[in-house]
Amino acid sequence: MKILSRNTNWKIFLSLFFSFWLQTGLVFAQKIRVITTIPDLADITKQIGKDLVDVESLAKGVEFMHAVPIKPSFVPKLNRADLLLLIGLDLEISWLPALLEVASNSRILPGQPGYIDCSVRINVLEPPTRIDRSEGDIHPKGNPHYNLDPVNGKVIAETIAAALSRNSPQYQETFQKNLKAYLAELDRWISRWQEMAAPLKGIKFVPYHLEWSYFAKRYGLEQVGTVEVKPGIEPTPNHLVGLVQKMQQEKAQLVIYGPQSDRFPRQLASQTGAKALKLPDMVGGEPEADTYIKMIDYNIKTMLATVKGS
Amino acid sequence: MALTTLRTPILGASVLVSFLLLFPVLGLAQSSELESLRATVKGMEQQMQKALERIDQLEKEKATTSARVGQVEKSVQGVQSAPSLFNPAIGMVIDTTAEHRGKAGGNFNLRAAELGLSASVDPYARGYAFINGNNEGVEVEEAAAFTTALPWNLTAKGGRFFGDFGRLPKYHQDALPFVNFPLSIDRMIGGESQADGAELYYLFPTPFFLRATIGGYNKLGAENERIDNTKLRSESQFTYLGRLQSYFDLTDNHSVEIGSSLAYTPSVRIPGDASGGNRTLAGIDLTYRYQPLGSTLYQGLTWGSEFYANSERFPTDDVAKRQRSFGGYSYAELKLNKNWSTGFLVDYAPIIENPRQRTIGYSPFLTWQISEFNRVRFQYSYLNNNFRADKAENGNQFFLQWTTVMGVDTHGFRVR
Repeated sequence: MKILSRNTNWKIFLSLFFSFWLQTGLVFAQKIRVITTIPDLADITKQIGKDLVDVESLAKGVEFMHAVPIKPSFVPKLNRADLLLLIGLDLEISWLPALLEVASNSRILPGQPGYIDCSVRINVLEPPTRIDRSEGDIHPKGNPHYNLDPVNGKVIAETIAAALSRNSPQYQETFQKNLKAYLAELDRWISRWQEMAAPLKGIKFVPYHLEWSYFAKRYGLEQVGTVEVKPGIEPTPNHLVGLVQKMQQEKAQLVIYGPQSDRFPRQLASQTGAKALKLPDMVGGEPEADTYIKMIDYNIKTMLATVKGS
Repeated sequence: MALTTLRTPILGASVLVSFLLLFPVLGLAQSSELESLRATVKGMEQQMQKALERIDQLEKEKATTSARVGQVEKSVQGVQSAPSLFNPAIGMVIDTTAEHRGKAGGNFNLRAAELGLSASVDPYARGYAFINGNNEGVEVEEAAAFTTALPWNLTAKGGRFFGDFGRLPKYHQDALPFVNFPLSIDRMIGGESQADGAELYYLFPTPFFLRATIGGYNKLGAENERIDNTKLRSESQFTYLGRLQSYFDLTDNHSVEIGSSLAYTPSVRIPGDASGGNRTLAGIDLTYRYQPLGSTLYQGLTWGSEFYANSERFPTDDVAKRQRSFGGYSYAELKLNKNWSTGFLVDYAPIIENPRQRTIGYSPFLTWQISEFNRVRFQYSYLNNNFRADKAENGNQFFLQWTTVMGVDTHGFRVR
């Protein structure tokens, strides 16, 4: 009887053990497992991959994308990924390499087919003229915040569709069809935004961090300084005094910040008459901005409302 | 008059006849004009279609050109950075302190000029090294290679490295959350968990992070002088390690990390005692983190603790005796804003040769993170000994530490 009981226990243990392995391995194997560094890439991947992909972003929209905490819970996700989509241009340099070091997944290491740098076809702005840490936490390959220009959203979508097609050529037709539909939708929005954003042309603004250069170029806003002394370096009292003078001279109307503290933007706004405006720099940064299209739409509408209000 | 009278009906008739005759001609003319108009419109439509097609083609060409421009720019960047691509990532940490230790006095201490190198070896391995120069000389702290493409979630490492024992023993001193290693780590492990040997890691295919390590080394602990690192030895005199480590997100903002480690040396030679004896060093580490997603730059709390148990034979006046000692530390660090954080460390450190003798340390500290690569820290420590300890390890201690990083910080995942 005891032997029987032991055998039964073993059977239960073994069946639980194998069902656990089946759950963790085979069930996920049905879809293309995509991990993205930021939610914008995850949303665009969903639009193109639809039901064929299982996609998750490591960073959440409310986080500061340069300094995402290195959580070991990211490691199993990266370990199972077929594709890793990243913004590139060293945006993720402070957290992604350390995770890849322990993810035990050679498919998604730099240089491998599963490592997809979405900046490859982007016309990059603001490459630094001097690469030295005295210039702050600069990105040697140029400004990585290209996701805030919706026309770059189209380029990202094309890069993602190509990556998915390379990874699963049997679904290439579906990905291309979904890409075409998404690009058509983006085009409609882009035309609408171009008209809507006309009043923003010539508006002078100060961002906290150099995040809004691509957006500003698209819609004709003029940047007259940054809250940070240099990228990643918090403002000093002297810098703030100089910035207030410059904002007053240039008649800057907006101080834009994201996941940073509102302390300095509010201080600058109160001293210059400009408006401090918090805007999401990633999908999910605000509850209303839960898709890429909604995020751009939210940013333009909020900016317009603030400018008109002032 | 008669002529006039006669002309009128003739004129009327001829107008009527002309009208009747011309009507079909007029109709014909209108019809041909319509045809011509239709042809013109059709021609225009075709031209417009061609123009639209041309516009499409030009847009496509423009997109391709800009893509090409992007690619060319990338290649140019690639070519420009090619020399550094083939060189390792290089970083240099300078860690210096101004210290005042109890009645022993004070000094300026260059604790580390630590050169870190890291690069891919080939598609199958990466290598890294830390070479440290300080007041005591120059030492290869770590020089190891690890695999990047082993199957079944395995990673192998070999060389000199900080063995996977506990959490903080794997840190370089300059990367610690406070100024010095807790005395419990110094006394029970021998400082950093430096080891010459090999390790094999296995990442479990679980939805949560679970990793196992097995290792074999000459010895464990940079300052563990009880075992010679250079002599040949039998298998029983190596140190063998097993570790299991896991991590759970309690919510988006709260997480817990736990680990347990066991280092076993079957036979430790003891002068004057032929029988020797085994050594068992066990450790449990527990770390809680509060990292609010929306404000990780400005807020956060880390509470980390490790507990160690050591069982080993030590020579006494008459015979070698097994001594069992228990120690550990616990600290909490609170982020006040982007640049400032503060914390408190409590440390319980026994002398492993005589566990009744112990030191309890209390250390509040304040850190000013000027930038990601530049940090100043002040720490006060009070060390309470229940035995006559060295003057430098007793009473009030003051430290002012300045740590700077040039180039790349190559410490990686372990010091996250």
